[in-house]
Amino acid sequence: MAGPLSKYSFINAKLRARISKILPDEKFNQLEQAQSLDEALALLRETPFAGLEEFYSTTGDLKQAELELVRNEIELYRNIRQHLHHNSVELLDALLSRFEIDNLKNAIRIYFDRKIRNRSADLGAHYILYDRIIHDIPIDIILNADNFDEIAGVCEGTPYGQIIKKYYHTVESEESLFRMETAFDHLYYANLLASFDKLDRKDRTIALRLAGVEIDLQNIDWIIRLKNFYALPLEAVLAAIVPGGFNLNKTVIDELYGAQNVKSVLGGFVKNKYPGLSAMLSSQTSDSTSRLLLIRRILEEIMKQEVHRILAGYPFTIGIVLSYFILKKNELARIRTVLNAKQYARKTIKD
Amino acid sequence: MFTTRMIQLFAVVLGKDCEQVTEALLGEGVMQFVGMSEFEGEKPENLSTVKPKVPLTEISELRKRTEGLLHSGGIIPSAPEETHLNDRAPVAVEKERSYLDKIASERDSIRERQRGIQQEILKLEDIKRQVDLYGTGISDAALSTRHSFISMQIGKLPALNVKQFEDALRAFPSLSVALGRENDMSHRLLIAMKRDNAQINTILANVGWTKIELPGELRSVKKDVSREISAKLENLAAEQKKLESQANDMVKKEAEHLREVWLNLRVNELFYKVQTNFESSSRTVIFTGWLPSSKKKCLTEKIKKASRGRCYLEWNEPGSKDAIRDEVPVQFNNPKILAPFQMLVSNFGVPRYGDIDPTPFVMPLYLSMFGLMFADLGQGLILAILGIIGACLLKKDDKKKGLYQLSWLIIWCGASSMVFGALVGSFFGTGLFRPLWFDFHGIISGHSARSSMISDVYDILSITIYFGIFVIAIGLIFNWINLIRGGKWAELFFDKGGIFGAWIYAGGIYITSYMVSHNYKGFPAGTTVFLLVGLPSLLLFIKEPYHYFTHAGAHADKKSNLFLAFMNMLMEWIVELLEIFSGYLSNTLSFMRVAGLGIAHVCLMISVFTLANMTSGIGSVLILILGNILVIGLEGLSAGVQALRLSYYEFFTKFFHGTGKLYTPISLNSKI
Repeated sequence: MAGPLSKYSFINAKLRARISKILPDEKFNQLEQAQSLDEALALLRETPFAGLEEFYSTTGDLKQAELELVRNEIELYRNIRQHLHHNSVELLDALLSRFEIDNLKNAIRIYFDRKIRNRSADLGAHYILYDRIIHDIPIDIILNADNFDEIAGVCEGTPYGQIIKKYYHTVESEESLFRMETAFDHLYYANLLASFDKLDRKDRTIALRLAGVEIDLQNIDWIIRLKNFYALPLEAVLAAIVPGGFNLNKTVIDELYGAQNVKSVLGGFVKNKYPGLSAMLSSQTSDSTSRLLLIRRILEEIMKQEVHRILAGYPFTIGIVLSYFILKKNELARIRTVLNAKQYARKTIKD
Repeated sequence: MFTTRMIQLFAVVLGKDCEQVTEALLGEGVMQFVGMSEFEGEKPENLSTVKPKVPLTEISELRKRTEGLLHSGGIIPSAPEETHLNDRAPVAVEKERSYLDKIASERDSIRERQRGIQQEILKLEDIKRQVDLYGTGISDAALSTRHSFISMQIGKLPALNVKQFEDALRAFPSLSVALGRENDMSHRLLIAMKRDNAQINTILANVGWTKIELPGELRSVKKDVSREISAKLENLAAEQKKLESQANDMVKKEAEHLREVWLNLRVNELFYKVQTNFESSSRTVIFTGWLPSSKKKCLTEKIKKASRGRCYLEWNEPGSKDAIRDEVPVQFNNPKILAPFQMLVSNFGVPRYGDIDPTPFVMPLYLSMFGLMFADLGQGLILAILGIIGACLLKKDDKKKGLYQLSWLIIWCGASSMVFGALVGSFFGTGLFRPLWFDFHGIISGHSARSSMISDVYDILSITIYFGIFVIAIGLIFNWINLIRGGKWAELFFDKGGIFGAWIYAGGIYITSYMVSHNYKGFPAGTTVFLLVGLPSLLLFIKEPYHYFTHAGAHADKKSNLFLAFMNMLMEWIVELLEIFSGYLSNTLSFMRVAGLGIAHVCLMISVFTLANMTSGIGSVLILILGNILVIGLEGLSAGVQALRLSYYEFFTKFFHGTGKLYTPISLNSKI
């Protein structure tokens, strides 16, 4: 049986070198201060994101450039996959399925907009991945489908066919994709948690902890959305919650949903498990939007602390792989946010 | 050995001379200003900050915008010079802003057009992808029924409506191919996506489309739809290219003017940045800051000239009672040749003002350690050549100064390897010439002539132990010098690296060498051991009570329990003794890694030769080449890292605090 050193020494060195290339906060400050999208992209020269500028200056299309980012990210996962021990490969496939699920969701949304909402869907169809990620999903057929039966039919043989079959009547009757998309997310996390079974005990503990924090983030995001925008009853919320969270058990979620002030509920576990973040809770929040922002910030900090804890600890575990993906995901999300903000600001000024 | 001597200037000039004095200060670029908040009790009440004519934030914002535009055109502006300062013009914020807005909006409109074309390209690609899947030709319009996603139809519409028809179709992935004209009717083939049928049919109804069979005379037209789309795509791609170069040229065309604007903005930004450190009363302006003593005369002249002598300048030495209490900034004072080693030092930290700057000592120590670990004349030569190539390539790249210095470090390391290679007689792992000192390879492979003083592995290990003792001793002496210069007399004796600590270390060395010289069978006399180790250990016990009583105020609440205080002192003393004994022992033994790496280097080369000898001809040569490359890469890196580790942890920790503040004056070259 391979020991942790032989399993992780190479990938650990490789990923640590890559982590050192993750853009520092200083770069993001510069990006935020850039006066236009062109200037922001110019700042990304001599970084691993140099291709974005090249792509944008050729096409003027930021969404295409973003799609290129997603392609690169998928390539990155595949690249790391080949350096992993076979016990961890399933975990990586589970992580990679996130892209497939997101892509499938986008394709179904385009179909949904066209057929159910009678909106033009052609624009969105250009910003979707048609290549195979894990399973053979004919995105073309989904986009051009006449009904959900056709979509379910072409997804038969993939893990998504059953979900589409089970939920499409609800989608059509409620005119909302929420339940189907929630089911896809549940499937993703279920597969992810199941993939941990092959890991050894130490790796499993670490993976469960990190995935747990991510599930917490996802759950809190949903709770706030469901509470503020959909006003769903508690039972419906609990059905949407992904099991396997690290900090949020059913009782906390129960309280969180009923609380007038979400902050007071968060205070409990933040003070107990992340005392360093207590100061953030004292920020004054008057409306639900600022409350939402504060909670997101706290959760992001929690994730950061978990990742730093792993990076500073014993290096030969699956933690380094998961931490790298989390850091990389955050980096890409930040870049997308900044670039879109620049693009949006320009459009607003023009309008 | 020490950093540059600094001096503090406290100056008062008349308000009417403020601008000229600011220009003089910026032009000279030697002042690191001290905020007036550092004044203690003496600050006059009626002082207020100097308000710039144009808010600094606005200038900074404009400068960044200009810089961003230049960057997007691939132009990095260089720092302003004295002439730009002399030609400084007031910033017309609105004018500059509207100029930048104009450029930005022009570029945005190009991007908008690019985006539009890109949408067209994507739509056509969508159609092409479908058409390519089925490989259809125009004459086979009936094929549409077999297609899953494409809808193809032939029809006619009034020629007058063609433009309206084309415009309306633009929102969808579609292709309309002109087939011919019959009177005032245009015959066309329309290819679109089936999913858009509903919307397309509405458009067709609006433009008077009539579905027809392909007219007989047109049936012979054999156009390839795919080729048609490809041609359209090529046109669009060419248009995109044109727009792209238009966007790039736009900045380049304006580059000269943008550069001028940037320089003026930058000079003004720095000018007002200097003034943010000024405090003014109704008629005067006050400022203070640090500069190297050597610049005192020059700056005095400049300020006097700018203010026509109407100024009051007061110069204070660091630590003098009149100096404003502020940490003295540190400027390294090393010749250029030491720059790569200064990089290693500043990577660890900046020495405190007045402390020893270890840079001149790091050079010989680092190189000696590297040379001992990587002693080979040929491989050293390769390293030096690689370093020279790196230095030549990076010389003009200001952004890669760190890599340039690293290249120089590699050159130095290569040179050191060559020297040590000559001393131990190694040339690419072979003994081509007689060693000047000892035969490293011979000793490791067991066929040494035993003619020199170094005849076995233990002798090599001993060299590194002696070397370690020497390095630690220098570190301790530097620590004493720093403590004496800082007037820290108690620490001079009680610090782990102080006199008592060193006394114990020296005693330990004596006892060990005594035992070694007696074949580990003899131990020095009890009195000697007591004098060498026991006495300084006991003297160290004074440290805690000394601190306790000199900081009596801080322990006011604990005075009631003297027993606890005594136990605490006892524990601290025991822990400190343990730290001293184990610390010095491990620090010294740590240097054995130098011998270890050197031995590993020789062993690797022996392995390479053994492998090469197992084959012959080209295979043997290849093994030798690859082996040498591997050894240079692997061992070169290990030796570099280990030499750095020893410098940082065994040498620096004895005396170097690295908590100094680097001297960063506001000058025309200030970093953005």
